[in-house]
Amino acid sequence: MTKAPWLMVAGAVAGFLGVLGLHKPATPASGATPGAASGQASSPVASPSASSAGSGPATGPVTATGPATTVTGPAEQYGYGELAVRVTIRGSRITGLTVPLIRTAEPFSQQLASQAIPVLRNEVLSAQGTNINAVSGATYTSQAYATSVQAALDQLHFK
Amino acid sequence: MSAAQVGFGSPQPPAGAGRKRQAPRAVPAPRPHPRLAGAAVVLAGAGLGAVAALAITGESARQLAVPGGLLTFAGSLTGMVGTYLALVMVLLVSRIPLIERVAGQDGLVRWHRALAPWPISLIAAHALLLTLGYAEAARSGFWHELGVLLNRYPDMPTATAALGIMCLIGVISVRAVRLRLPRETWWLIHLWIYLALAISFAHVIVLGPAFVGHPLTRLVWSLCWAGTAGLVLCYRFGLPVLRSLRHRLTVAEVRAEGPGVVSVILAGRHLDRLAVSGGQFFLWRFLTPGMWWQAHPYSMSALPQPPYLRLTVKGRGDHSRALARLRPGTKVAIEGPYGAFTTYAQQRPKALLVAGGIGVTALRSLLEDLPRGSAPVVVLRATRAEDLVLAPEVRELVRHRRGKIHELTGPRDQAAIDPVSLPRLVPDLQDRDVYVSGPEGFVTDVVEVARALGVPHESIHHEAFAL
Repeated sequence: MTKAPWLMVAGAVAGFLGVLGLHKPATPASGATPGAASGQASSPVASPSASSAGSGPATGPVTATGPATTVTGPAEQYGYGELAVRVTIRGSRITGLTVPLIRTAEPFSQQLASQAIPVLRNEVLSAQGTNINAVSGATYTSQAYATSVQAALDQLHFK
Repeated sequence: MSAAQVGFGSPQPPAGAGRKRQAPRAVPAPRPHPRLAGAAVVLAGAGLGAVAALAITGESARQLAVPGGLLTFAGSLTGMVGTYLALVMVLLVSRIPLIERVAGQDGLVRWHRALAPWPISLIAAHALLLTLGYAEAARSGFWHELGVLLNRYPDMPTATAALGIMCLIGVISVRAVRLRLPRETWWLIHLWIYLALAISFAHVIVLGPAFVGHPLTRLVWSLCWAGTAGLVLCYRFGLPVLRSLRHRLTVAEVRAEGPGVVSVILAGRHLDRLAVSGGQFFLWRFLTPGMWWQAHPYSMSALPQPPYLRLTVKGRGDHSRALARLRPGTKVAIEGPYGAFTTYAQQRPKALLVAGGIGVTALRSLLEDLPRGSAPVVVLRATRAEDLVLAPEVRELVRHRRGKIHELTGPRDQAAIDPVSLPRLVPDLQDRDVYVSGPEGFVTDVVEVARALGVPHESIHHEAFAL
């Protein structure tokens, strides 16, 4: 079996490419590029699991004036599910954050998400950006939240 | 007919020059299928590529950019690849006939040893990288995050225990440590790997990003694990037990063959249905106090003559020396037959058989499989003439096959096998496959000489007797 290492390599390449080829992201919306200012990038399917914590206007310091603009960031797939965050900006401040879309694969992730999202919302509002700490024990959820918010902010050219 | 009368001299040579033998004896071992074994290797490689791709497709570019993202991804990748390699390790030594017949059990154990550092270090890295990644994302310390992981996530304590077992096995298998441990202790701890793999299964399926929400991936992964477990139960444990029960081998006689060398002749049932080829070996477990927990590999020194089976052993360590004191009637359990050192491996029309010392045992049974008129050349090398055990039998077998035998005795500088002396003994080396058997150093040297003389890799077959 002198050719065994080469057979292994050939098989590995085939298996690797095969899985890459077969892999389909769960929704076409994930990874959407920033579109128009108020582009609705999330899928229109109503979320079966309700966990929109922190809906409504901002609870942070309200010194914002001017018209509010709202953008929903793209649905971020994070391995245990997906979520999208809707960001409201007034003037130069982030004033609102809601989660119109969250789908988790199983109850444990659901529970983690419902605990983590309010914390993350407060973090973003205090930091006025995505330079926040992830919630311990909900790393992937936190990353997806931050990524979705950041993409929405980019669309609004928020600094 | 008692064992003493059987004699185990040279049995009937195969009838018909050049034709496959029709001797009335035990069934030959099934033919190996190198192409199928090659396909299995490709499949194993495909699995490796697939798990790497699974780890990669579980991430998106943006996830890599967030704090801790790169570390988490690295942790995920090392975990998937490391666990897959651990499964491969188990399969390598599961004695699956398809692979074993082509690679030989001794070859598979070599690969198992060579591969070993990889799954252990990859899985240890996986644990480290994930903890670091999570800690960076949560802006907490390493130890705090470790506590969170162990307390908050399901199945993590057992996974951590499994990692501990793996690392322990790695440590005790380092040569310096292994030589200091009693063989039984090392073996017992090594067996815990089955436990470690079993208890770590859950955390992968429940927590791995490639699996959560991907029922097909979960199914395939579970099937692979179930399949591995099935193969282990069947070929590593089940089949040897069934064979031992079917053949009911007991010690019939212990005979001295030379200084420090004894033949153990076993009697058993249905040996006409024991499918073996010359040159193969078994792992023998003598069921007597002090020896029952060890199974040692020794070559058969003759094809079975139902109801008898013979092995010839040189007393080098505790176990082999104890064989001389075996009492007739002792029950014996067997694992095997194993080994790819057979005439099936032969590529060229003729053969050269080179034996160093006790290596003659494997060649003695291999010779019986060579058909009449095949004109083998046999070189027996030993330090002293009395160390040439089984020489009378070998001479007669060679004579029946119209071959030549050369007996080289004396110290190394006087009777060496080197690129000058070997062609003199074997002028038609280009028509011959080379079978070498004996102590490791001897085998390595002779293989080097054969390679230097232009014998291609596929035509060199070796069986090294380790201490």
